[in-house]
Amino acid sequence: MMEHVNFLISILPELWKGLLVSLELSAGALLLGLIIGLPVSLARTYGKGIIKAIAVAYIELIRGTPMVVQLVIIYFGLPDIGIVLDRIPAAIIALGINSSAYQAEYFRGAILSIDSGQMMAAEAIGMSKRQAVLNIILPQALRLVLPPWSNELVYMIKYTSVAFLIAVPELMARGKMIISWTFKPLEVLFWVGVIYVIVLSLVAKIVDTIEAKISIPGFQMSRESF
Amino acid sequence: MGINEHTWKVISAIPYLLKGVGMTLKITFLALIFGAFFGLLLALARVYGGSISRRFAIVYSRIIRSLPLLVILFMLYYLASEILDLSPFLAVVLALAVHTSAYQSEIFRGSIQSISKGQMEAALALGMSKFQCVLYIILPQALRRALPYWSNEAAIVLKDSALAYVLGIAELMRRGEYVVARSSQSALLTYLIIGIIYFILTSVLTRSLLYAEKKLRIPC
Amino acid sequence: MAKQILRIENLRKKYGDTEVLKGVSLTVEEGEVVVIIGPSGTGKSTLLRCINHLTTADSGDIYLENQKIERGKTDLNKVRQQIGMVFQDFNLFNHLTAIQNVSIGLVKVKKMDKKKAMEKAYKELARVGLEDKINHYPAELSGGQKQRVAIARALAMDPKIMLFDEPTSALDPELIGEVLAVMKDLAMAGMTMIVVSHELGFARDAADRIVFLENGVVSEIGTPEKIFYNPEKQRTKEFISKITQLHTSGNNQESAGL
Repeated sequence: MMEHVNFLISILPELWKGLLVSLELSAGALLLGLIIGLPVSLARTYGKGIIKAIAVAYIELIRGTPMVVQLVIIYFGLPDIGIVLDRIPAAIIALGINSSAYQAEYFRGAILSIDSGQMMAAEAIGMSKRQAVLNIILPQALRLVLPPWSNELVYMIKYTSVAFLIAVPELMARGKMIISWTFKPLEVLFWVGVIYVIVLSLVAKIVDTIEAKISIPGFQMSRESF
Repeated sequence: MGINEHTWKVISAIPYLLKGVGMTLKITFLALIFGAFFGLLLALARVYGGSISRRFAIVYSRIIRSLPLLVILFMLYYLASEILDLSPFLAVVLALAVHTSAYQSEIFRGSIQSISKGQMEAALALGMSKFQCVLYIILPQALRRALPYWSNEAAIVLKDSALAYVLGIAELMRRGEYVVARSSQSALLTYLIIGIIYFILTSVLTRSLLYAEKKLRIPC
Repeated sequence: MAKQILRIENLRKKYGDTEVLKGVSLTVEEGEVVVIIGPSGTGKSTLLRCINHLTTADSGDIYLENQKIERGKTDLNKVRQQIGMVFQDFNLFNHLTAIQNVSIGLVKVKKMDKKKAMEKAYKELARVGLEDKINHYPAELSGGQKQRVAIARALAMDPKIMLFDEPTSALDPELIGEVLAVMKDLAMAGMTMIVVSHELGFARDAADRIVFLENGVVSEIGTPEKIFYNPEKQRTKEFISKITQLHTSGNNQESAGL
C-alpha cells in the first residue's frame, strides 16, 4: 500500500505540470473556437449566397474529419508550404478550429430555437436586423447555448489528449513519459484517468453553478440530451 | 504548377491508402455493434434496473465519459499485452466499444425515458409482462427516437477510430504515416487526401443512417 | 376635417397562388379607432403586417402622414418607430424583464439616455397598471400581464398609430377584460388605433368605424351602429350574429358583457 502511495507522490508533480498544459490547451482552443465559431454560425444562419456556402462547407468539412487528421495537417502538413508552427500553437489552432465548427452548430441551434416572433417584435419597434440580432436574438441564444457549450468544454479537456501525438507535454504525454521510465503502465494510466475524472467533475460542478447564477425564468437549462 | 515528383509519389500511393479503409470500417463497425449492445444493457439497467445495477450504470457512464479515448486505449492495450492475451486490434475495438457504450447508454436512456408513461400502462393493462412491454412496446419506439443521436455517435466512432494508428494498426491514418515517412514534403497532401477520404466515409455513413431513419419513421 | 394619419391604397398580397389581399384601401384619421373584423384567413393580420412592412405587399401604396412608405427608399426602421404593434402572442423579449422590454427600444433605437428610458418605461408600465411587476421576466407574468407589457412597449416609442393584431385571442377568457380595459383607456386618450379583433363589445364601445374584411377586400365599412344594427350586406349581418352567438354561448361572460 505504502509503495503505491509513494509511487503516486513521486509522479504527481510531473502529472500536475501536464494537467496545467492540458488546461492551457483547452482554454486556448475554446476561446479560438468561440472567436471563429460565432461569426461562422451567424454567416450560416443569416448569411446569403457565397458567404453562407463557405460557412456550411467549413462546418461540414471540419465535423466530417477526425481531429487527429486536422492536427497532423496543421503540424506536419503546413511546413510543406512554409508554415512552421511550434507544438503548442499548432495544437491550440487545430483544437480551436475543430471546436469552432461544433460551437458554430451549437450557436446556430440556439438561434434557430428562438421564436420568430422575437425578431418580428424587435423589427416592429424599429430595430434594424443587426440591432435585433445583437440585442434580442444573441442574448437569448447565448443563454440557451450554455448547456451544449459546457459539454464542449468537457469534450475539449478530454480531446486535448490527442496533442500528445505531436509530443505536446500535456497530461497524457507526461503519463506516457513516466511509463517509459517506470515500466508501470497500468498504474500510471490509472492515476492519469483519476485526474481526468476529478478535473472533469470539478469543471461540471463549476459550470452548473454558473448556469444557476445566470439563469432567467423561462429558459430551460437542461443539460441532458433530450 | 505542374505535378512535381513529391506530388506524384503521394498520388500513386492513393490505392495503398485506400486499402486502409477496410480496416477503418471493420474497427468502426465492430466497436459500434459492441457499443450498442453494452450501451443498451446499461440504459435498461439505468431505467428499469434495481438499485445496484442502476448505480453501476450511472458510475460506469460517468467515469468512462470523463476519460479520454487515448487513456482507455492505452489501458486496454497494456492490459491486453500484459495480462490478457489480446491482439492490438481487439484492444482497439474494445476501447472504442467501451468508450462509445457510455455515450450510447445516455442516448438510449434518454429515448426510453422520452416514451410516455401511458405506453407502459396500456401494455401492462393488456396483460403483458414488464419484459414484454419493454421489448414490444417501449424499445421499438425508443430506438427509432434514438436513431438521429445514434447516427451522430456512429460518425464520432468512425472519426475516433483514427486513433487506432497509435497502436500500429494499419488503418487509414497509419498508412498515411507510412507514406509521409517514405517521401519528403508529402505530409500536407497525404493528410489532406486522408481527410477527404474520412469526409467521404462520414458523409456516406450519416447519409445512409438518415435514409434508414426515414424508412423507419412512424407518422406522428 | 381631422388630420390623416394613415392611408392605404389598393393593397395586394399573394402567398403562393392564394391572393390574400385583393386591393384593400383604407384611410385612418388622427384619434380614430378602426376595428377590423372578418372570417379567419381573410388577410386581417396580413393587412396589419403590410402597414409596417413586416410583410411586403405585392402592390399598392401606404402613406404615413402623407409620406409614402417605400421599401428601399424609406428608412423602414424610422417608420416602424412611429407605428406601434401589439401581437397576438405577445412576443415579449424573453431574456428581459418587463421594464427592460419597454425600455430597450428607447435605448437602442431612439438612443435615449438609459436613466430617462427607465423613467419613461416605468411611466408606461404604470399606465397599463403594472408598476408592481416591472422586474418580472415574461415567464413570471400571466398572459394578460404579458400583453399589457407589450402594449406599454409599443406605447413607449410614442407612436402615431397603434396596430393590434388579435391582442386577446391567445388569452384565457378571464384575462381578456384587463387588456381590453387598457385598450379602451388608450382609445379615450385619443390614440389612433387599428384593431383586429372579434371582441364585439370593445368594437361597439370604442370603435369609430368597423371594417368588415372578407375574401381579401373591404366588404363593408361604417360606424358600429350601422354595422351592428343596420348593415348593408347580408354577409355582414350573418357574420356579426355568428360571432355574437359564439361569444354568448361560450363561457366568455366578461368580454361578452363589455
